[in-house]
Amino acid sequence: MNKTLFAKELRASLFVSGIIAAVLALYIGMIISMFDPELGESLDAMMQSMPEVFAAFGMSTQTTTLIDFMLNYLYGFLLTAFVLVLVLIMANKLMVRHLDRGSMAYLLATPNSRVRIAGTMIGVVATVLTALAVLVTALEMGFAEALFPGELDFEALAWVNAGLLALWLAMAASCFLSACLFSNAAAALWTGGGLWILFFLMQMVSQVDDDFELLESINPLTLFDYYGLATGDASAIGGAVVLAVSAVALFTAAVTVFTRRDLSV
Amino acid sequence: MNHPSGPETGPAIEICDLKKEYGKGRGVFDVSFAVERGETFGFLGPNGAGKTVTMRTLMGFIRPDEGDARINGLDCFRNRARIQERLGYLPGEIACMDEMTGAAFLEFMARMKKLRDRTRMNELVEYFELDPARRIRKMSKGTKQKVGLVCAFMASPDIILLDEPTSGLDPLMQSRFIDLVLQEKRRGATILLSSHLFEEVERTCDRVAFIRAGRLVGSMRMDDVRKSRKRVFVITFADAATRDRYARAHVDASPQPQGAASVEVTVAGNFDAFVKDLAAYDIVDLTAHEQTLEELFMHLYGTMEKGGSHE
Repeated sequence: MNKTLFAKELRASLFVSGIIAAVLALYIGMIISMFDPELGESLDAMMQSMPEVFAAFGMSTQTTTLIDFMLNYLYGFLLTAFVLVLVLIMANKLMVRHLDRGSMAYLLATPNSRVRIAGTMIGVVATVLTALAVLVTALEMGFAEALFPGELDFEALAWVNAGLLALWLAMAASCFLSACLFSNAAAALWTGGGLWILFFLMQMVSQVDDDFELLESINPLTLFDYYGLATGDASAIGGAVVLAVSAVALFTAAVTVFTRRDLSV
Repeated sequence: MNHPSGPETGPAIEICDLKKEYGKGRGVFDVSFAVERGETFGFLGPNGAGKTVTMRTLMGFIRPDEGDARINGLDCFRNRARIQERLGYLPGEIACMDEMTGAAFLEFMARMKKLRDRTRMNELVEYFELDPARRIRKMSKGTKQKVGLVCAFMASPDIILLDEPTSGLDPLMQSRFIDLVLQEKRRGATILLSSHLFEEVERTCDRVAFIRAGRLVGSMRMDDVRKSRKRVFVITFADAATRDRYARAHVDASPQPQGAASVEVTVAGNFDAFVKDLAAYDIVDLTAHEQTLEELFMHLYGTMEKGGSHE
């Protein structure tokens, strides 16, 4: 890690991260404030009236507890797919753009190895995502305590969000690997990003229609089993661990590719 | 491979049989040259000839297909981070961090280079009359070039690689750049600069190499270049008939397509005879320019095929 580069890139990422965090905060607050066993019934009634639409966004469970309610309405789409937007913006900012525009030449014209440069960029994205996970957890706990004291199972939430962070890091790592692999800027950005968009679409399709079980079995998104994590299910924890390990492996691969390839900057 | 050149002996920059192919005849092929310590070496050639590829190889950005590139005896690809400790570089394409101000970018680069003393940086900013407070995005090409130059020189490096250093600079700043190179040379820096402008190379370099279509055409000492260079005169006659009369008498005069009554003559050495001979003709205009380096190398090595623009 290079402190100077880390500070510069972190500062440059602050604005977009702030916007994403604000949107997440807004939704988290809104969804939690909508929790009300009685209103929950009416939401559930609405869900039953158009089950496909709700199912597509992962909102298909009859909810009784606050955490189930949150898992149903926040974790299927908002806290996963929406964060992919942030991941893509950051992969673009930290890697793709530097290589495409040639400003990487300046970074490499300093006594810093490529491992250190790439490692710093990964450090920035990992820091932003970790901070976001902490912020999301704090917001969820804060809103829940303010509106429904004692209703939220903190420990279950912590497990779920640890798994969520593992998923985010795996998404970021694949986007970084693709950013390091391709010299064409569009390919560098959209191979990794496009793959995850495809995974989200696959998940939407398979949630609506049970005929697409194959899609589900090859979809890495299923490794993030948030209901299982909330109940401490072993296979769900295993899935989260697989995500975390893949993130480390993919980041390592990204750094390796970056140190070996030709950079026409 | 066993190389005698160690860190403090042997040439500062050494390229042996470098080959890097990009397909369709692009790239560099069998390029070899060495730059001695304290020497200023000019690397000349038209755009797309392979100058930037060579620079990128020296910077360790790209790995040679064959051959090797060494700086201070260290392999440029494998030891790139260590080499950078004492190297200054100006990229051919100026692409700084657009969203930063010039001052913020220079401060950032100074920290990345672990530069403690900012005196030289500030001196250079003043020397090039650079206003660093503006955002780089809003700067003109010449101003961005100044930022890049300050960046390349601010750490007072031992070895300086400059890819087309004066592109975008106005004549005053070009001449300041030349003075700066001479100053750095006196300090003992080894400088490799690529260019397609003869003047800056002529005024700064000890030696010059010419590259074309990825191959090194030749290299020579600047003193020898000066000796072998000729003047090219464009003579415009009063009418086409006079022009034809002159052309018949002088087979080496090539008629110019632009001016109906003009010819171009290359003169070496005997200017007296040339001028006295001209007195017999009715002349409306006479302009002289020095042979461009490309013309000189074409004349000396004679093997280059025509075609391929100089600019």
